[in-house]
Amino acid sequence: MEDKHNATRDKVSCDRKACPVRGVMPFLLGVAVALVFGWWLFPALLYSEQEQPVNFNHKTHVANAGLDCSHCHYLRADGTFSAFPSTEECAVCHRVLIGDSKAERVFWNDYVRTGKQVKWLVYQKQPDNVFFSHAPHSQQNCNNCHTFSTKELCGFCHPSMANGTPEYKLNRLSGYTKDTMKMWRCERCHANPNHLAGTSANNACFVCHK
Amino acid sequence: MVIDLDKCTGCGSCMVACQAENNVAPAEDGTNRIKTLNWMTVYQLSNGKTFPEHDTAYLPRPCMQCGKPSCVSVCPVVATAKDENGGIVSQITPRCIGCRYCMASCPYHARYFNWHDPVWPAGMEKTLTPDVSVRPRGVVEKCTFCHHRWQAAKDAAYAQNRDPMKLPEDAYQTACTKACPNGAITFGDVKNPAHKVHQLVKSPNAFRLLERLGTEPQVWYMSRREWVRRLGDNYLNNEITKG
Amino acid sequence: MFDRRDFLKFIGGGAVGTLATPVIWQGLDDVSIWTQNWPWIPRIDKGNNKNVYVRTTSKLCPSAAGLRVRLVNGRPVRALGDVDHPLSRGGLSALAAAEVQLLYSPARLRRPLKRSDDGTYVAISWDEAQSILTEKLAAAKAQKSLFCLSGDENGTMNEVLSALTARAGSNDFYMMPSDAQSTAAAWRAMGGTGRVGYDFANSDYVLAVGAGVLENWGPVVANRRAWGQARPADGKLAMRVAYAGPMQNNTAAGADLWLPVRPGADTAFLLGLVHELAASGSVPEGFAPLKDLAAKWDAEHAAAVAGIAPASIVRVAKELREAKAPLVIVGSETGQGCPAAPVILGIALNIMLGRLNRDGGMRALPVAAPALEQAMSYDRMMQQDFMAAAAAMAAGKRAAPALFLAYEANPVYAMPAPGVDKLIEDAGFSVSFSCFLDETARRCDLVLPAAMGLERFDDVVTPYGVGEAVYALSVPVARPLFEARAAGDVLLTCAANAEMKLGFSSYLNVLRAKVRRIGGVEWETLLKGECAVTRRVEPVLELALPMQILKEAAQAVPDKPAKGALAVATVTKRAFGTPDSGLPPFATKLVGKDIAGSALTARMNRATAEKAGLREGQMIRLSAGKASIPAKVVLFEGVAQDSVALAAGFGHTDFDSFNDGKGANVMRLFSVVEEPGTGLAVWSCPDVTVAKA
Repeated sequence: MEDKHNATRDKVSCDRKACPVRGVMPFLLGVAVALVFGWWLFPALLYSEQEQPVNFNHKTHVANAGLDCSHCHYLRADGTFSAFPSTEECAVCHRVLIGDSKAERVFWNDYVRTGKQVKWLVYQKQPDNVFFSHAPHSQQNCNNCHTFSTKELCGFCHPSMANGTPEYKLNRLSGYTKDTMKMWRCERCHANPNHLAGTSANNACFVCHK
Repeated sequence: MVIDLDKCTGCGSCMVACQAENNVAPAEDGTNRIKTLNWMTVYQLSNGKTFPEHDTAYLPRPCMQCGKPSCVSVCPVVATAKDENGGIVSQITPRCIGCRYCMASCPYHARYFNWHDPVWPAGMEKTLTPDVSVRPRGVVEKCTFCHHRWQAAKDAAYAQNRDPMKLPEDAYQTACTKACPNGAITFGDVKNPAHKVHQLVKSPNAFRLLERLGTEPQVWYMSRREWVRRLGDNYLNNEITKG
Repeated sequence: MFDRRDFLKFIGGGAVGTLATPVIWQGLDDVSIWTQNWPWIPRIDKGNNKNVYVRTTSKLCPSAAGLRVRLVNGRPVRALGDVDHPLSRGGLSALAAAEVQLLYSPARLRRPLKRSDDGTYVAISWDEAQSILTEKLAAAKAQKSLFCLSGDENGTMNEVLSALTARAGSNDFYMMPSDAQSTAAAWRAMGGTGRVGYDFANSDYVLAVGAGVLENWGPVVANRRAWGQARPADGKLAMRVAYAGPMQNNTAAGADLWLPVRPGADTAFLLGLVHELAASGSVPEGFAPLKDLAAKWDAEHAAAVAGIAPASIVRVAKELREAKAPLVIVGSETGQGCPAAPVILGIALNIMLGRLNRDGGMRALPVAAPALEQAMSYDRMMQQDFMAAAAAMAAGKRAAPALFLAYEANPVYAMPAPGVDKLIEDAGFSVSFSCFLDETARRCDLVLPAAMGLERFDDVVTPYGVGEAVYALSVPVARPLFEARAAGDVLLTCAANAEMKLGFSSYLNVLRAKVRRIGGVEWETLLKGECAVTRRVEPVLELALPMQILKEAAQAVPDKPAKGALAVATVTKRAFGTPDSGLPPFATKLVGKDIAGSALTARMNRATAEKAGLREGQMIRLSAGKASIPAKVVLFEGVAQDSVALAAGFGHTDFDSFNDGKGANVMRLFSVVEEPGTGLAVWSCPDVTVAKA
C-alpha cells in the first residue's frame, strides 16, 4: 500500500512540498474570489438601481436654462429648507411644454396636469430620528472660518449634479442609499475640538437627533 | 421652566398639547399608568385636611432636565446624555436598548417605556409632525423641553442673519407653555437675566421637587401656599418649609 | 489535485479576503439598520418642509378658542394657540388642542347612511341621500311640520335652520339647552334689552356660582388668560375668584375661595348675599321688594340652608363690596342650563354692586340682525324650549313632527329623557347631520356625515358669556374627509329643490351676508383670522324685578337629601368633549380621577361615606326614579356634605374604542323639572338613592 501511494506521489510534477506557489495558491485563490465577491458581486446584489419618477436633468436647467441652485433649493425666511421644488413651483415655467423631451412630457402629463407631487427619490435620505437643517450649514455661516465654494460645501454631503442626475443606488437591506451619510461623517465636523470652540454646533445628541 | 401651582387648574391642556406636538399615540385606556406615555403629567395635590378645610392644587410634571441627571449616570449605552449647551437631557431612542434602568433611576417618574408599538387610528398618522421621530416599542422616551422648537428658532435666526444664541424670549417656548390658558408655565433661559424665569427662580416661593436628592432639577415650582411647597420634598415633621 | 487541504486553504483565504471587503462590515451595519426598519411604524412625510399656519376659530370647543392650525405639506398637524385672537389670547382648551387629531377619530361618519327596515344601516350615495332629504322636506312643508334641533351654540347655521323651519310653516326650531338660554330667560323676565355679557377680563373680583369660569363656562380660554395675567407668580394679585359649588373642581382649585354650596341651594346662597349687601348699604331704586324677600335670609339662615359657614357669606359680601370691579356670574355645572331664578339674583347682585354696563361688570350686548329674512331672532331662539316641546309631544299634547332634523346635536345622550327618544321614534322621518356616529344618529332614519369645524366655513357670533360683541369666521384647513360635506350647503340645496328657497345658494354667501349685516369689517380681514369686536352696550332703561319668580324660588329651595340619599354634583371638564364629540382620542389620559377601570367614580367625602355606610372602592348603584347607574366609591374631601360628585361625558355606547366601556352616563339620572314662576323646563338631577352593588 505504501509503495502505491509513494508511487502515485512521485508522478506529480508540481507538489506542495516542492512548489511553494502551489501550496499557497488555493489560499490566494480564496482571497481573490472573496475580494471579487466582496467588492463586485456583493454591491451588485446589495444595491438596486432605481429610476427617478421623472428623468430630471440638472444640466438642462442649470447650464442651459441658466437657473442657479437657489432658484429651486432655497432657505426660507423661517429657516426651513425647500428641499425639492413642488409641482407648482416647477409649473411656473412648465405650465405648458417648453421643450421636446420625453421626460418633460411625462412630468407635464402625470404631475402638472393632475397637481400631484413627484415622489422624488432622495439621495441623502436620513431616517426620521435624524435632524438635519440646512440653515446653519450655509456658506455664510461656515465661511466665517473656512473658505468653501458652493460646490465644496454642498459636495460634502451631496453627489454632484453637474453631469446629469447620478444613479440612485438603493441599498436593499437597509432601505437607504449609497450616498446616505452615516453619523461618523457628521461628527468629522461636529466632534472636532477646533470646531467646537468657534461654533455653536457641538456634538450634543439633541443637536442632530429628534 | 417655572410652574406657578397657584395658577394651574388641572385642565390638562398641556398634556394634550404635549402629546400632539411629540407624536405620542393615543391610548384607548388612559388610566393605565403603566402603558400610557404622559411626558407631561398633571398630578392632583391635597392638603390632607377633611371637608371643608380641604384644599387642592394641581402639579404639572415634565422632565426635570436635571443638572445632575441620575438617569444619565446609569444608562449602559449612553442613549441619554446631558447636552453641552441648553442643558436639555437628550433621549436618543434609536440607541436605547430598553433596559429601563433610567426609569428605575429617575426619582420623578418622568420616563416612559413603549411596551407596545404605537397604534394610530386609521388616518391619524397623517397628523404626525415631522419634528419628532416616531418611537417603536422597546425604547424609553421622555419630555425633551420641545427642543425641536429650539432648533427651529435657531434655524430661523440663521436664515434671518440673527445670532442663534441670542434668541428673544418668545422665540423658543415649549408646547405646554403655549397651550396653558392660565399662563401657569413660564419657560426660558434661567441664566439669561432678560428672561422672566431668571427672576422667578429667585422668589422665596420657588422650590424644586426633591431638591435634597441633589439632582439639580431645572424645573422650579412656585406657590404662595405653604402646604403646596411642603409637598415638594420629604420634610420631617420639625423642619420648616422652604420659602 | 485539489484535495481537502486545498479546500480548507481556499476557505481560509476566502475568510481573510472577506475581512478586507465591505461584506461583513457594511453587511452588519445594514442589517442593524434593517432590524430597525419596522414597516408598521409610520414614516413621517415632511414633503418640502413647508409650514403653513392658518388662523381660524374653533367650532368644536364651546369656548370658541382662536386657533392657528399648522399644516405640513398641506396636512393639518397641530392646533396651536393664537395670541392675537380676542377669544383666546394664545391659550388652548384641552378640547381645542385635540381638534386636529379628532378629524381622524374612528367614530367619524364616513358616508351617508340610511336605516333599512330591519334596523341596520346601509351606506348610500349623496345623490340618493339628498333626494330623500328633499322629498322629506317637501312633505314636511306640506304638513307644516318640521322640527329642527341645533347643537351649534353660536353660529349662523342656527339662522339657516330656523329660516328653513319657518319656510316649512313651523315654529319648531330649537337649540340644545344651555346656560345661554337660562340667562336669556332671566334677562327677559327682568325686562332687559340686548343680551347679557360678562366682562370677566376687566373685573378684579369674580364670584362664580355654579358656573365653572376657570374650566368650562363661556369663553373660558380668554377668561383664563385674563385671570392668569392678572395674577403674576411673583407679583400682586389683580383678580380674585370665588367659586360656589358642591365640588372642589378645577375652577375651585384656581379660585381663592371655595364655598361648598350644596346642589340646588344656589338660590339660598345668593339670597344670603343680597341680604348682606342690602344690610350694609343702600339698595337701588325698585329693589325694596327684594330687600324684603331677603330679610329672613341672613347669613346664619342662608348658610345653614346652603351647607356652608355663615362667615363665608359675610366674607364674600364684604369682598364684593370692597372690590373695584366685582362681577357675579351664575350658571350651571353641566353647562346645560339652570333655573332662571338664581341667574336673576346674580344679575340683581351685579346691579346692587353698580356693575351694570360697566367695564369689568355685566354688560348688555347688542345683537346683530339676522342675515336670512325668515330666521328667528336671537331672543326668540333663546325662548324656544326644546325639553318642553319634547315632553309635550311625548305626552301626546302635540303631534309628533313629520320631519325631525338634528344638526350636530346629540340629545339622546345629553338629555336622555323618555320624551326625546319618543320624539325621534314617533317622528315621520328623522335625519341627523353629525360628524360622529353618535347615539342620536343611531336612532335616526337618515344619517348624514357633516364636515367638522376645521373642514368648513362657519362663524362664531358673540359666544355666550363674552363681555363684548365679537364676530369671527371659522375657515377650513383641510378638505372634508371621506364623504363628509358642509351641512349648510347640503341644506340650502335640498331646501331649494323642495321649493323652500332661502335666498342663498351656498352657506358661504350666507356668511358674507352676515358680515355685511354686522358691518364695519371687511370679509377679507375676517378671512385672515381677525375678529370684529365692539365694546358697544345696549342702554338698559326699564328693568323690573320679577318678584313672583323670586318668591317661588325662595320657597322652593330643596331640603338636604333624605337619609340614604345623596345630592348629585356634576363635574364637567372641557377635555372630555361635548355630547356630540365624545371623548377625543388625545384626551383619554385625563380621566384618571373620573373613571376607575371601567366604572364612573362616585366621589364623596369620608363623613358622607361613613354616614351612608360606604367604603372606598366599593361598587354602588345610584338611582333616581327608574334610572340607575353603577359607580365606584372614591373618597375625596373636596365634595360637599351628603353629596356625590360624578363626571359628565362618559357612558357613551357604540361611539368608538376610546369612549366605549368607560363609566356611565350621569345624564340618565337627570330629568326635566318645571321651574315655578317661569315655566322654564330645567334639566336637573334629583337626589339619588344609593344601593351597594
